[in-house]
Amino acid sequence: MIAAMILGGMALIALLAPLLATHDPRQAEPQMQLQAPSRAHLFGTDLLGRDVYSRVLYGGRRTLGLALLASSVTLLPGLAIGLVAGYFGRWIDSGLMMLVDAVLAFPSLLLALALVALFGGGLEQIALAVGIAGTPAYARVTRAAVLEARTRLYVEAAHAIGARPPGILARHIVPTIAPPLIAFAGVTLSWAILNGAALMFLGYGGDIAAPDWGVMLADGREAFRTAPWIAFAPGAALSLTVFAINLLAGSLDRRR
Amino acid sequence: MIPFVLRRMGTALVVAWLALTLAFVVLRWAPGDAVDATLARSGGSAEEIAARRAALGLDDPVGQQYLAYLAGLVRGDLGESLISGQPVSEMLADSFVPTATLSLLALVLAVALGVLLGVLAGAAPYAIVRAAADGTASLALSTPVYWTATLAIYLFTVVLGLLPGVGGTGPRYLILPAGVLGFHTAGSIARVTASSIRESAGQDFVRTAQAKGLPDAQVLDHILRVGLLPVVAVVALQLGFLLGGTVITEIIFVRRGLGRVLILAVNNRDYPVIQGLVVLAAVTYSLVNALADVVYSLVDPRVRSAD
Repeated sequence: MIAAMILGGMALIALLAPLLATHDPRQAEPQMQLQAPSRAHLFGTDLLGRDVYSRVLYGGRRTLGLALLASSVTLLPGLAIGLVAGYFGRWIDSGLMMLVDAVLAFPSLLLALALVALFGGGLEQIALAVGIAGTPAYARVTRAAVLEARTRLYVEAAHAIGARPPGILARHIVPTIAPPLIAFAGVTLSWAILNGAALMFLGYGGDIAAPDWGVMLADGREAFRTAPWIAFAPGAALSLTVFAINLLAGSLDRRR
Repeated sequence: MIPFVLRRMGTALVVAWLALTLAFVVLRWAPGDAVDATLARSGGSAEEIAARRAALGLDDPVGQQYLAYLAGLVRGDLGESLISGQPVSEMLADSFVPTATLSLLALVLAVALGVLLGVLAGAAPYAIVRAAADGTASLALSTPVYWTATLAIYLFTVVLGLLPGVGGTGPRYLILPAGVLGFHTAGSIARVTASSIRESAGQDFVRTAQAKGLPDAQVLDHILRVGLLPVVAVVALQLGFLLGGTVITEIIFVRRGLGRVLILAVNNRDYPVIQGLVVLAAVTYSLVNALADVVYSLVDPRVRSAD
C-alpha cells in the first residue's frame, strides 16, 4: 500500500516536473555554483550552479522513462520465448533454453556494456542494451510458470476438446501465470532502473547536460566532499523508487 | 551421482561454447570491423587498410575465422588489443588478481550478511525483527554501488576519517569497496534465504517436530538444515551480479582491475578486449554454477532424483 503510494508519487512528480520545478534544469549559473540547500534552491546547486531540486524532478522523467523503455524491450521477446518454450516443450524447449542460458551466462551489466560498445552511447541505445540484457531471465521465469500451468486440469481439458495452442495459451495459460509474471516485471523494472542509471553514471548517456539521476550521481561524486547534497537527492530518489517497486513486487508474489 | 556430474558439466560446456559463439557472431555483426575502428579512423591509406585486414585474417571466410577463433581460445589466445597491440590474455592476467580479490572478499561479506538477514527475516521470533531484517535486505537491493560508494566514502573518509578513500593499494583500501559491493549483493542472498526458510518452516517435518514437543531451538535447527540448502546455488548465481558490480566499484574507487580494462575497451571500441572479457566472465560463470549444482546435489540428494 505504502509502496504503491510512493510509486504513484514518483510517477506523478516525473509527469508534473515542468509544473513543480523552480528552475530550468539545464540552466547553468556559474556565480551560483555549489550553494547549500536554501529557500531559493531547495536541494542546493551543483558544480555549474544548476538547481538540484529541478534537476531531480526532470531526472525522474528521464531515468524512469528509460527504465520503462528498457523493460518493454525485455518483456515482449522474453514472454514470447518463455511461452513457446514452455508450452511446446521437447526440442523447441531445449533449443531455446540452451540459447537463453548462453545469454544468461553473460553477467547482465557486462552484457549491457558490451552492447553499448556496439550500439554507441545515447538514451535509446542504453534502453536497448539494458532491455536485451534482461530478456533471458524473463524468458526463464515465463517458461517455468508455463510448465506449471500446463499441468492444470482445465488446460488438459481444453487440450482434450481440441482447442488450438494459441487459444489455450491466450485463454487459459496467460491468465494463470499473470500474477508471478507481473511480479517479475516489477523486478525487471527495478533492474532496468539500476542498470540504466549505472550506464548513465559511467557516462554513456550521450547528452551530459541532461538531468538524469545516474548522471547527477556521477556529478555528485566529483564534489561530494564539499557538496554532498548534489548526490544525495538523486540517490535517495533512485533508492526510494527501486525500494517501492521491490516491495510491491514482493507483496504481489506472496499473494499468489 | 557420477552420471549427474557428467551431465551437468557437459551442459555447462555446451552453454559456454554457445556463449562464445554468440560473442563471435554478434561482434562480426558490429558496424565496421577492427580495422575500421582504428586504422581507417586515424586516416590510413587504402593499401595499408587492406594489408592490415589481410594480416588480421579479416578477409578469410567467416567459417575459417570462427575456427581460428576457437583454436585461439583453446590455446588461451584471445587476440590483441586494437589500441595497444598487447595480447588480450596478458592484459586480463595482469588485472585478474585485484578483481578476484575484491570480488571474493565482497562475496564473503555478502554471504555472511545475506544469510544472517535472511535467517532473521525468515525465522526470527519477533515480527519486528523479521520486518527490520526484511527492510534492510530490501534497502540493500535498492541502493546500487554507485550511490552507496559515494555515501560510504563521505561517511568513513570525510566525516569519520577512519578509512582511506579512493586510489591506493593495500588491504586497508579494500575494506570500503568490498563492503559496499558486498552490501548490495547481500540483498538478493537475504531475499532467497528468507523465502526458502519460510517455505521449509511450513513443511510437515516441522509440524511433527513441534507436535512431539521439541524445544524451539531444535525445531529451528530442523528448519535451517533444509532452508539453507538453496543458498549454495544462489551464491553462485550472485557471481554474475558481482562481476558487474566490480566494474563500477573499480571505477569509483579508482582501483586497478578487469573492470577498468573493460570500461577503457568500451570507450575505445576495442572489440577483442571486450570479447575476451565477456567470454572470460561467461565461461567462469557457467562453470561455477555447474559446480554449485554439483555441490548442491551432494548435500541434497533430492535434486539428483528430481532432475
